[in-house]
Amino acid sequence: MNLKSARIRWAAVRTLLPVALLIPQLAHSADDSGIEFFEREIRPILADSCYKCHSVDAKKLKGGLYLDSRPGVLEGGDLGPAVVPGDIEKSLLIESVRYENVDLQMPPKSRLSDKQIAALEKWVSLGAPWPAGEENSEGRREVFDLEARKADHWCWQPPREHPVPEVADKNWPLDPIDNHILARLEKADLHPAPDADRRTWIRRVSFDLTGLPPSQDTVDQFVSDGSEDAHETAVAKLLESPDFGVKWARHWLDLMRYAETYGHEFDYPIPDSWRYRDHVIRNFNADVPYDQMLIEHLAGDLLEAPRIDPASGMNESLLATASWWLGEANHAPTDVRNDEMMRIDNQIDVVSKAFLGLTVSCARCHDHKFDAISTADFYSLAGYLVSSRRQLAMHDPGGEIASRATRLRELQSEACAALEAKHFPAEEIRTHADGLIASFEDGLPAGWTTTGEAFPNQVSPAGHSQIALIDEAAVRAPGGIVHSGLYGRKLQGALRSPTFTLEQPEIHLRLAATGPVEARVVVDGYFMQEFNPLLFTGTRLDAPMLDTAGEFVWKSIAGDLRKYVGHSVYLEFLDRGDGYLAIDEISYQKGSDAPAPAEQISAAALGIEAIFQQAKEIESHIPAPIYALAMTDGTPRDENVHIRGSHQSPGELVPRQFLTALGGGATTGTATGSGRLALAHEIASPDNPLTARVYVNRLWHHLMGKGLVASVDDFGVMGEKPSHPELLDQLALDLVEGGWSTKAMVKRIVLSRTYRMSSDSNLQDPQADDVDAANILLHKFRVRRLTSESIHDATLAVSGELDRTQGGPSVPPFLSSFMEGRGRPASGPLDGNRRRSIYTQILRNFLPPFQTTFDMPVPFTTIGRRSNSNVPAQSLVLMNDPFVIGQAQKWAQQLLQENDSDKRIRQAYLTALSREPSDDERLAISSFLEGQRALLDCAPDDPALWTEFCHLLLNQKEFIFLR
Amino acid sequence: MHCHRFQSAPLTRREMLIRGAQGIGAVALSALLGDRAFGAAPPLPHFRPRARSVIFLYMDGGPSQVDTFDYKPQLAKYDGQDAAKLMGKLEPTQFDNIGKLMKSPWKFKQHGECGHWISELFPHVAQHADKLAVVKSCVSKFSEHTAANYFLHTGSGLQGRPSMGAWTGYGLGSVSQELPGFVVLNGGLIPPGGLDNFGSSFLPANYQGSLFNPQGEAVANISPTEARAGMQRAKLDALRGLDLLGSAAHGSDPAVESAIANYETAFHMQSAVPELMAIDGESAPTRKSYGLESDWENTRIFGRQCLIARRLVERGVRFIELTCPPTGPERWDQHSDLRQGHADNCRSVDQPIAALLGDLEQRGLLEDTLVVWTGEFGRTPFAQGNDGRDHNPFGYSMWLAGGGIKGGVSHGETDEWGYKAISDKVEIHDLHATMLHLLGIDHTRSTFRFGGRDMRLTDVHGHVIKELLA
Repeated sequence: MNLKSARIRWAAVRTLLPVALLIPQLAHSADDSGIEFFEREIRPILADSCYKCHSVDAKKLKGGLYLDSRPGVLEGGDLGPAVVPGDIEKSLLIESVRYENVDLQMPPKSRLSDKQIAALEKWVSLGAPWPAGEENSEGRREVFDLEARKADHWCWQPPREHPVPEVADKNWPLDPIDNHILARLEKADLHPAPDADRRTWIRRVSFDLTGLPPSQDTVDQFVSDGSEDAHETAVAKLLESPDFGVKWARHWLDLMRYAETYGHEFDYPIPDSWRYRDHVIRNFNADVPYDQMLIEHLAGDLLEAPRIDPASGMNESLLATASWWLGEANHAPTDVRNDEMMRIDNQIDVVSKAFLGLTVSCARCHDHKFDAISTADFYSLAGYLVSSRRQLAMHDPGGEIASRATRLRELQSEACAALEAKHFPAEEIRTHADGLIASFEDGLPAGWTTTGEAFPNQVSPAGHSQIALIDEAAVRAPGGIVHSGLYGRKLQGALRSPTFTLEQPEIHLRLAATGPVEARVVVDGYFMQEFNPLLFTGTRLDAPMLDTAGEFVWKSIAGDLRKYVGHSVYLEFLDRGDGYLAIDEISYQKGSDAPAPAEQISAAALGIEAIFQQAKEIESHIPAPIYALAMTDGTPRDENVHIRGSHQSPGELVPRQFLTALGGGATTGTATGSGRLALAHEIASPDNPLTARVYVNRLWHHLMGKGLVASVDDFGVMGEKPSHPELLDQLALDLVEGGWSTKAMVKRIVLSRTYRMSSDSNLQDPQADDVDAANILLHKFRVRRLTSESIHDATLAVSGELDRTQGGPSVPPFLSSFMEGRGRPASGPLDGNRRRSIYTQILRNFLPPFQTTFDMPVPFTTIGRRSNSNVPAQSLVLMNDPFVIGQAQKWAQQLLQENDSDKRIRQAYLTALSREPSDDERLAISSFLEGQRALLDCAPDDPALWTEFCHLLLNQKEFIFLR
Repeated sequence: MHCHRFQSAPLTRREMLIRGAQGIGAVALSALLGDRAFGAAPPLPHFRPRARSVIFLYMDGGPSQVDTFDYKPQLAKYDGQDAAKLMGKLEPTQFDNIGKLMKSPWKFKQHGECGHWISELFPHVAQHADKLAVVKSCVSKFSEHTAANYFLHTGSGLQGRPSMGAWTGYGLGSVSQELPGFVVLNGGLIPPGGLDNFGSSFLPANYQGSLFNPQGEAVANISPTEARAGMQRAKLDALRGLDLLGSAAHGSDPAVESAIANYETAFHMQSAVPELMAIDGESAPTRKSYGLESDWENTRIFGRQCLIARRLVERGVRFIELTCPPTGPERWDQHSDLRQGHADNCRSVDQPIAALLGDLEQRGLLEDTLVVWTGEFGRTPFAQGNDGRDHNPFGYSMWLAGGGIKGGVSHGETDEWGYKAISDKVEIHDLHATMLHLLGIDHTRSTFRFGGRDMRLTDVHGHVIKELLA
């Protein structure tokens, strides 16, 4: 779609005007010789080399371009007009046949002959003559009709209240959920399966809620609890367990493509992403309302009253925004703007799939093929992201830093008053170099932002000197500079410029600096130069490069910066410890050096030694902030549509707004900053027809083995239709009604009669397995294989080895000799330090092999439904993997504390399978033990023999399949 | 990301099974389809296949086309002169250190009846010139290794998409009951981007590439750990008994049944893999021809890989990829010291590849085996610094041989400098389309529903390169 047709298309969609009325009338003139030239030289080239893709006869029209009529040529395709009559250099047709632009070469496979190219050039310069009467290309283009698509598909309609369905078997339902399920079964003339036995149920619900098998106590208590609310008691206990958060956080991490490295060539580390993992675990344990989790994930950095974790003091709202930044990242992109768009594409993909069940990224290059999502919608969302920035945010648990910073500011201002009283002559106003980008003589310019405590929010004006609490011997600092040392050396902070278009190849900074400080230019959001400077050499000045020993001198950001003239950039200054950074001016040209320093004075001379003393004392108690990835607002700006997904073909500028089909545009213009917070509220709104449905469907999926909408990440036309649409609606409404509580909804589902059904074939209703072969109607419970994490954790649990410590940095993964590649770290412990799997580090290029064998997903985008493979490699792991064997040995040692071998067998069954062995099983095991003992030639209590037994149990299907 | 229209072509039985099976979960699917461990589907090509297996010789790092298969005498003529002045606009390069035009340090000669120009770097492969279809007009979209590797392997420059070997298995299943359908013979250098180059992503995990080490333990967890012979068998028998007791008690569940069956396959794999790797039984002349007695260690390593590749073909494995042995710190990525680096790399692979082609032919396997030799991109005709070449995705060479390929063909060309493809450009999607075509798969019809789209290896692109077909 070219710029013009994009506008036309949009106008058409929004106002429903017929397209034809809006196509400008095209006039042309041509004399006979021109026509003759066209017929002789040009038409054959077009017919031979272009019409396969660019005519009405094309099997599939490419690039929206028709070259079989003059209007087609002039109106052009997605990239704009193919020919500007008379102007060879502006005609894309000529550019493409010349083959000089590697991104635009036509015909695609082979260059035309020089003679043919010359003919086309001549034709264009003649004004592109074409015989009359071949002009009708109207109505050929498909019109994207967003409103019609919206009207046609269920997911855009708000959920409706439904009466509780009537059922014949009034005794069966325990919850309206059951009425919905039963009504459908009865309609199909089927019966629900009987309840599962109690041991099966408690095992099922324990794994589903905590990812672990029930302890023997839990089983015994439940089995012997004859009270009416026995189920409820059991569930309440599981919901209270900190393991609940561990289990459900892992599902969430699948949605957020959680990883701890960036992948690609060298697998560089994502800074401390485990802090985000712990945040998610805490969220589920604290049952943070889902709408609040969403708002925090999308815009937690913008909340006026952020949520603080009482235990760790971390700013949870801010921490949630790390989720934006967990994607892969590439160093040294030759096209950094495209790199930015790929990152934004992934961010939009994740947010739209995870929270809305929509595949918005499918609309990056063209309007969505199936859903009511336009390309303009995609770039409207992209606008929020180019208006936002990645930051390493500073957390200040308990406000330990902030309170001291406040005190330091007070002291500094007292000291300034003393200085004021001294009446020094006014400072000389410094002159500016040419090409000024920023100076601070009138304070912090508009759009500059600070985070942390080191940089002042207000800058003392030029000529107006101030106190810096750094050096008692020389306390005066000039005014009109932004200085991170006014309150001493210890406070940390960041200072960022607005985004601007880089106009010249070098940026010069007049500054004074010392200590762990950093200055860099961020080009199109690119942040990987700290790991690898390739293609960005010189765009980042680290501490040694910046150190001026306290003097004001010019420092230059240059080198590869010259490549990025014309790109969107901003400056970022970091003070990360005991030091300071004082910036006088920023300019494209280096000016003269700073004037001679003004007359200095000591603290003693000003009588403020006591202030310095106090400041020093306070500083000595300032802890370092905790850094964690986060989002922060940048300079608000809209994004252009990128025609066919290429930033090199900008189309119309589209306002930042939510999806058109979901009422986007309502808040446009009223939002402040990037507008991300308003977007977050729109996404998390109860009026959004998708948000609650998508979430409640995810809960159902994890508890019931399959979503009411099976394609949990795609509620669009290509997704699957809901099996029980009314139930889905009702649960969505109930979720909102119940304050978006995850635990309440989980509790309700697992206490339903439906969840209580046996997964065994229903012997009383033998036709059910045939009539409802795929078990869509839920005539019995679904058998599910445990997740990779649960298999791993349950193995540790039964061996008695599991360490249930919560939180903290990750354990490096165990890497076998088959896990090779660049950036391979040292292998971690075989047993993951006996921690739960969620604490194993997720290195994109070295995913833990045990986990991936059992379908832990590759973290590249939202995966709400894991694949569920069933392959011999899984058998090999359970048969031969040293982790499994090792745990069997540990378990055997535990069992051997019991002297009686029958009791051992019973004990092992209770531990691993939550039930007693049957007589047949006892028999089979006795004879197995006898046989192995003969082969091993060992004593009956030999640990090796009992390791064999434990290994056998770990390989039973019942151990990894949940009934 | 590109999307494409829903394919309205008639459903194959397999597709119907898959679509229908989404209702009953992927577990049930593999059970429904699968008595075959490593490929759920019975082989069901769209049309008569010309090749049964693919051996993909992956030249990690990007061999230089102008020093191997794309002879450009003009480089010698203008050696040492300013590239930008002579060649016009130069594209940005990865390291942005553009030197002078640099002639090839190696002599070219015509070989075979077809007269392929091949440099003296490949004396052995050159003897098979008439088997090779050389494509001189390959283009890629990425100048950087990782994205280019993903692109070559998965058709997408992003991490985490299914590899071509996984798509092959998904389309055709495996012939072998004991071996995976997609085997990566690890020469020692995992390409940048890591194991995700061989992943199955959203395709079922059984299609992912299995990494085989040519020496030592070949496959993870392939060796039984029991102390005495017979113990594992006894354990598996007891296990089967216990599992069947469970099935009897609860009724049959397809996923559980399938998991039970997997143990038998796994058990047989434990002997099939060592048997595969035992190349001691190969005749002395065969071993010698592959370079197993070479005094250059990397020739011995790559020779083993090539020999095992042949044995994998014999066992019906669909897709076999070979990665390079480490040559110095780098693979074919000669940003400097091209002369030494390329000479060493060629020395590692030339003799083994020639032996593989000859051996396959002699055993009548070549006509059913497609052999592909390529890097992820080529190199610049001008120098990087003084004596290296930078990455060049705008025009480079690869060759194909064997099943369904017309030997002796030269397809496409670059400009007079060997810099940019100017005729019959071949994209990686075209290579993928052609490989699938030779295996009997229509690349536009081999799709998998993920994330709201019918995904395919070639995305919305790809044309079979008819000129290469026999």
